[in-house]
Amino acid sequence: MALVSSDAYVQGTSMVHRWPPRLKLVGLGALMFAFAMVQQMVLLLPIAAIAAGLYGLSGLPLSLLSHRLRYPGLFIAAVVVLLPFTSGDTVIAQWGWLALRQEGLEAAGLIVVRFVSILTLGFILLGTTPFLTIIQAMRGLGLPKILADMTLLAYRYLYEIAENLATMQQSMALRGFGHQPRRWGVSRRTVQQLAMLVGSLLLRSYEQSERVYKAMRLRGYGYGPGNQATLGRGNANGQFRAGWGLTVGVLAMAVCIVAVEVALSIG
Amino acid sequence: MHIPDGLIPAQVCAAGYAITGLTTWYSLRQINRKPDPTAEIPKASLLTAAFFVASSIYVPVPPVSVHLILNGLLGVVLGYFAFPAILIGLFFQALMLGHGGLTTLGVNAAMMGIPALVAYHLFNLRQGLGQVLPDRVALGGFAFLGGAVGLGLSTLIFLVLVITTIPAGFDVDTERQVVLTLSLAHVPLMAIEGAFTAMLVLFLHRVKPELLEG
Repeated sequence: MALVSSDAYVQGTSMVHRWPPRLKLVGLGALMFAFAMVQQMVLLLPIAAIAAGLYGLSGLPLSLLSHRLRYPGLFIAAVVVLLPFTSGDTVIAQWGWLALRQEGLEAAGLIVVRFVSILTLGFILLGTTPFLTIIQAMRGLGLPKILADMTLLAYRYLYEIAENLATMQQSMALRGFGHQPRRWGVSRRTVQQLAMLVGSLLLRSYEQSERVYKAMRLRGYGYGPGNQATLGRGNANGQFRAGWGLTVGVLAMAVCIVAVEVALSIG
Repeated sequence: MHIPDGLIPAQVCAAGYAITGLTTWYSLRQINRKPDPTAEIPKASLLTAAFFVASSIYVPVPPVSVHLILNGLLGVVLGYFAFPAILIGLFFQALMLGHGGLTTLGVNAAMMGIPALVAYHLFNLRQGLGQVLPDRVALGGFAFLGGAVGLGLSTLIFLVLVITTIPAGFDVDTERQVVLTLSLAHVPLMAIEGAFTAMLVLFLHRVKPELLEG
């Protein structure tokens, strides 16, 4: 499993890096939703420019964006290949039975630009903010205690459990799993072996969770006034004044996009 | 089977967040009714991480391989913790792997999580309806049902959402036919997911039955 380490570029000093996490979350979140609302072709260039501008402002390398766009692009690529040939009535080019249609082409353009622009904003968020800080900021914005604690604990043990699985899969391969002659169709034996692999992984995680819980209880987890103990509670470093400027600017852009979209769709 | 950013209209994304918000509230309410809800958080968290990691496993079905969704299994093992677990897993996938998306997180969570809760209730039916059957048959049978229905419902929601919201200009009959055809194509996958869930539940029942008390 190719888990991407999200903290490789979070130590930068750009304006976006110093943007207070809660404001960054609100600003980028609002902009993402504004991008998702876009249905008018005329807005595609502005939203792509805003995403590119913010990415430039964050100082993140272009290689990060191109590397991370590779996989999620596959589903979108399938949509983009199909839509221009299957959707709409206005034929703009024809090769035998294959007809390129204007409406499909426009729909594909809309989907691709929205997808890349929103994903770029997501990469800016993750690339400039440590994951734990994102969770703390979300907790500050009202994320329920149980969800915050579960997210932090799951994140803490994610890489360890992934390593466990890799070791178990290597052991299976060394014992001959996957080297049997291939026959078409599903094999009951293979499904059973994989079910036991996942079962063993769950068992190990469950047993580890019992030890973790005991250690947490000894440190006071679950006690305190109103049972409010929360993991990783921290102080938000919201002293960056320029962050407010950035937030206001980003929110203004989001409002403008929505206003133009509504005005054009009514008119 | 994730809906990526930019594919569906913002109104659908907002509706997805609203449904996910409500279902999360309901699940957390059920969790908080337990005698000591904090006692189960480490278990649910580590199992969330384990399910997230396990979802990368592919079942070889030569000449292709099949990717397991495991949402029915999550419901069977985690009960009401399944919905928050799926929400967190999808959040990790959107941020770390780029699967799904942040604007579509609500839609994806509802699409995967609500069928997981259905699977949990189906699995619990074994205590009433399964009384007449031998223990292992009831356990395996209802686990199969939970796994298969979990995947089946998610697939149906996914297909309906994608086909009806993409501005493809298909007419209603064509949309209905496409949804029906693609849904039927997923029936073998439901059988594999159901069989996988049943085998895993029988394994857990044999070696660690308390894991199934979720």
